[in-house]
Amino acid sequence: MGEGMIRTENLTKRFGSKLAVANVDLEIDAGEFFCFLGPNGAGKTTTIKMLTGLLHPTEGRALLGGHDIRKEPVQAKQIIGYIPDSPFLYEKLTGREFMRFVAGLYHLPDARAIEYGEELLAVFELRSVGDQLIEDYSHGMRQKLSFASCFLHDPKIVVVDEPWVGLDPKNIRFVKDYLKARTREGLTVFMSTHTLSIAEEIADRIGIIHNGKLLHLGTVPEIKALADHPGSLEDVFLELTQGDEV
Amino acid sequence: MSELAAVARAKLQIAKHSIASVRTESKLKVGVISFCAGGMWVGAFFLFKEGLEFLIRFGADVSGSGRGIGSIVLTRMAGVLTLAVFFMLIFSNILVSFSTLYRSREVAYLLHTPMSFRTFFIARFVECVAFSSWALAYLGSPLVLAYGYATGAPLIFYGATLAFFVPYIALPAAIGSLITLVLARVFPRLRMSTIVLVGILGVLLLFLYWRQSVGVNRLSEDTFLPALLDMTSQTQSPLLPSYWTTRGVLAAAAGSYRECVFNFLLLISNALMALWVAAEAAQRIFYMGWSSLAGRERGRSKWLGRSPLAHLDGLLRALPNPERVLVIKDIRLFWRDATQWSQFVIFFGIMAVYIANLRNMSGHYQQDFWRSWVACLNIGACTLILATLTSRFVFPLVSLEGRRFWILGLAPLSFRRLVFQKFWLSVATTSAFTVGLAILSGSMLGLEPIYFALSVYSVIITNFGLSGLAVGLGTLYPNFQEDNPARIVSGMGGTLNFLLSVAYITLVVGAQTVILQWRVLGLYTSDTGFYVALAVVVVFITSLSIISTMIPLRLGLRNLNRMEF
Repeated sequence: MGEGMIRTENLTKRFGSKLAVANVDLEIDAGEFFCFLGPNGAGKTTTIKMLTGLLHPTEGRALLGGHDIRKEPVQAKQIIGYIPDSPFLYEKLTGREFMRFVAGLYHLPDARAIEYGEELLAVFELRSVGDQLIEDYSHGMRQKLSFASCFLHDPKIVVVDEPWVGLDPKNIRFVKDYLKARTREGLTVFMSTHTLSIAEEIADRIGIIHNGKLLHLGTVPEIKALADHPGSLEDVFLELTQGDEV
Repeated sequence: MSELAAVARAKLQIAKHSIASVRTESKLKVGVISFCAGGMWVGAFFLFKEGLEFLIRFGADVSGSGRGIGSIVLTRMAGVLTLAVFFMLIFSNILVSFSTLYRSREVAYLLHTPMSFRTFFIARFVECVAFSSWALAYLGSPLVLAYGYATGAPLIFYGATLAFFVPYIALPAAIGSLITLVLARVFPRLRMSTIVLVGILGVLLLFLYWRQSVGVNRLSEDTFLPALLDMTSQTQSPLLPSYWTTRGVLAAAAGSYRECVFNFLLLISNALMALWVAAEAAQRIFYMGWSSLAGRERGRSKWLGRSPLAHLDGLLRALPNPERVLVIKDIRLFWRDATQWSQFVIFFGIMAVYIANLRNMSGHYQQDFWRSWVACLNIGACTLILATLTSRFVFPLVSLEGRRFWILGLAPLSFRRLVFQKFWLSVATTSAFTVGLAILSGSMLGLEPIYFALSVYSVIITNFGLSGLAVGLGTLYPNFQEDNPARIVSGMGGTLNFLLSVAYITLVVGAQTVILQWRVLGLYTSDTGFYVALAVVVVFITSLSIISTMIPLRLGLRNLNRMEF
């Protein structure tokens, strides 16, 4: 593990009188695979959106690679990649055109954009449909295109919000292995998921958020040890969050 | 509860919530829009009233018998207007029904339910009618009221107009929907763009035929009235629904209730018949068309071995990134959305009609008074076309990023660059059309150099002002929930943008009109006085344009930087 790649200090978000995220302090190292768990409405997506700069914190701050996402957004965004739970993309662009578009946003040289873009399309099995409009893609194909475009600029941090929706078992296995392999190369992954078996399998550390508060933080064995009746991560999670909906 | 009632209730609830959500909008925005919309309506009423009273007086002056000629001219003009609107509603409903019946997100959901295709069609048809004709109600109501006021029509005239309005808009909506149903069923393998292109060509040919047969230039002849009666005689066919509407409403105004009821029954029975035919057609052919469209193979046109849009990369190579990819993306999305560029082509049609008619006008205005007015009206026409372009196509640019805004929000790109990319894209594209239009129309009208230069300068500078307004207000009041640009434009922000655009060009054109008319009326003691006034006006419109560009852009940018996604 290296230096803290993601750091949040007293990260808080209020929507009017509702406290969505309360005083979250996190430090995630380079090369770490961090899974963020919590029941529906616990504050996972809000935290992710504050990390990526899509929401402004009411209090506190989020630092990515040492850059405050609010004060140095361009520098912070250079090193981050984001895969949302619902991949809304430009329907009237083809997959290949979308990759070129993203490459342009990140100032990648044309030659690299084409070469690496093709490589990523091949890795995510989209090469054959690269010239089809995105409106013709299935949900899984859109999700894979989100992944492919996210890695185009070689981010140091990837934030993933529930990535498994729409992916078939083969692709779930592939994405899981791909992300884990990249963490071994130094990539930091911050992933929110409800699929606890996968979190248990691949996470270096887990954070559990409930009602906006970060309840527990630790490795999988550490989290499991918190429960009165240790079992699978799912059993432990349900006990810790007192049976709320996952 | 029937399925139709359930859909209607849900739509009413949505409408209720949408109206209630106005409370959460900025009070300033709601106030400005209400004031401008109300002001425009009142202004239109007085304009129509004055025009109609002039026509009535004109008739009385010529015939000496009260309302002879004016009444004939009014009847014919009403006939032309209702016929033109009728055809426009058919065309508009072809486009609207395609997106409402085949492209809307609700369609897939509704088709899962145990609802007959007939019921589904009627449920969607009501939405088509409302969406394609609300503007007619807004713009037509001051005309109707002005007509009633100017002619001293009895109260029943207003009731009759309301009664006629519903079948008058329902009939073209049914015809338009029927055409769409047939096109989608018969030509599902044709791309939407091809269908729209054929439609536009059809309308163009129809226009050329009409222009050829009525001979617009005859209006310029001395025999005005016979020429007018002759060229509008085709609108008086008893086979036309527009004729039944005009006759029925005018009969109500004249107290001929029997004729009014007859025409109303004729119109409503035809509207119901058309709706029944369309609903039956939907029951039989909608699903086949829908599934064929959903399952069609999508190929894209190639040019020199590549898609035409692929050449954009090379053409725009001089631009730096990310501006280059943003411009390419905007152009691609625009081009691939047939409903977008088809409406753009309609603007070309309007410009072509304008240019074509200038050829007839240019030779008839030799007097300074008229030449000066024509110069001012020409600037007005060019800037109004420009305002329509920016309001319709530029305002929604930021909103169209919609739920994809996370892509740009996550990119290492300052929002300032994004907003200015939209601004410069707008200036570059609209200038290409409108500056060309100003030069061409100025040349065809034979404007003297000073008028010509002023016209071209005004159009250049208003390109900046109107683009700034449209991009700025589009960023200040974006609608990220809506993917349909036509609906984005018809929201409160779009309405505000259009009203402010009209106010801006009114000031620009008004200032020039005043100094040019003073010159014609000989109110300047010397040429120097005129040139000083001209310089003041140039400074005024330049300052106004800078303000119209910078303030909305600044406000929009500030809003975007504060915004959460």
